[in-house]
Amino acid sequence: MLARFDKRWLCVELPATEYREAWDLQVSIVDARKDRSIDTNVVLLLEHPPVFTIGNRGGLDNLRVSRGFLAKAGIGVIQVQRGGNITFHGPGQLIMYPIIDLHSPRQTVTDYVENLEEVMLRTASDWGIKAERNSANRGIWVGNNKLGSVGIAVRHGISFHGMAFNVNLSLEPFGWINPCGLQDTGTTSMAQELSHKVSMDQVRNSVKRHVEALFGVELVMTSLAELQGHLKS
Amino acid sequence: MKKISELDLPDDIRYAEDHEWARLEGDKIRTGIDDYAQDQLGDIVFVELPQVGDTFKKGEEFATVESVKAVSECYLPVGGEITAVNTALEESPELVNKSPYGDGWFVEVKLNDPSELDALMTNKDYLEKLKGAE
Repeated sequence: MLARFDKRWLCVELPATEYREAWDLQVSIVDARKDRSIDTNVVLLLEHPPVFTIGNRGGLDNLRVSRGFLAKAGIGVIQVQRGGNITFHGPGQLIMYPIIDLHSPRQTVTDYVENLEEVMLRTASDWGIKAERNSANRGIWVGNNKLGSVGIAVRHGISFHGMAFNVNLSLEPFGWINPCGLQDTGTTSMAQELSHKVSMDQVRNSVKRHVEALFGVELVMTSLAELQGHLKS
Repeated sequence: MKKISELDLPDDIRYAEDHEWARLEGDKIRTGIDDYAQDQLGDIVFVELPQVGDTFKKGEEFATVESVKAVSECYLPVGGEITAVNTALEESPELVNKSPYGDGWFVEVKLNDPSELDALMTNKDYLEKLKGAE
């Protein structure tokens, strides 16, 4: 039984990547995972240029500014099939997209989502930030303000999308939406909580360490080029 | 999470690789997701179903299920035309967790090819497969 436990996950650190490009990459990894041309789970770490995304049950009603205003600001709005409502991604937010098989080892969606939250809670704690879960809403929170979000999609038992952790990003665009469809809540970042910027490299390293500990795996760093060698073009 | 041995896998239905089930009722089949799937997904908060009259091939995505910030795709275990959908799930998606083979059914399908039903797993085959993957 132990032999089946996949102890090594591949990890790729990407430069700033457009949302759709990262989405296409995830989908091709899901396909490769499904037809077994990739036999291990894969974790992508990256940041996105500014973009709003709306999950399965979200609508434009949670956008508080006009699309024209966003067009002027050069920020797109993308409808995505993932859990959750509207959110913002931008530089200074660490994105982790694990493409993992939820059937081996078998784990529930709830346990998996809680593990992603735990990765962010422990990372925040490394910088002395006391974040917590909120029983009413997913993600991690400092008081009434959201520090990190989770949203996943499952295709043939393989999970993609993942978590978005606010490290240094500009919080202004969150004022243009009701994040996650919630009202009367705010958004925060590590930089906001600490009153100084935080090294993204150090946060990435902390996140990687906590993924290894929480999922009981070793992350093996690889390049995008090497990974793409396993994917169908 | 239930142990594999604790799963409710009735012997009057067939099972698909992606954890959907199918039960023959006259010349139609009724389908939904099985106990393994509902247990893995956790509390289901939303089910998106197709329209009556839509047609799908075997294995095509026909529905999505949302639970704890997760959207999961569901695949039709046999090809055919949707003849009924369980509208009760709009108001009460938790029926899928409570009664996956009863009140939590998803759709009824007019089969294109009866051999597709025969090709699905019996509860014994399915249980063996689940145990093998454990």
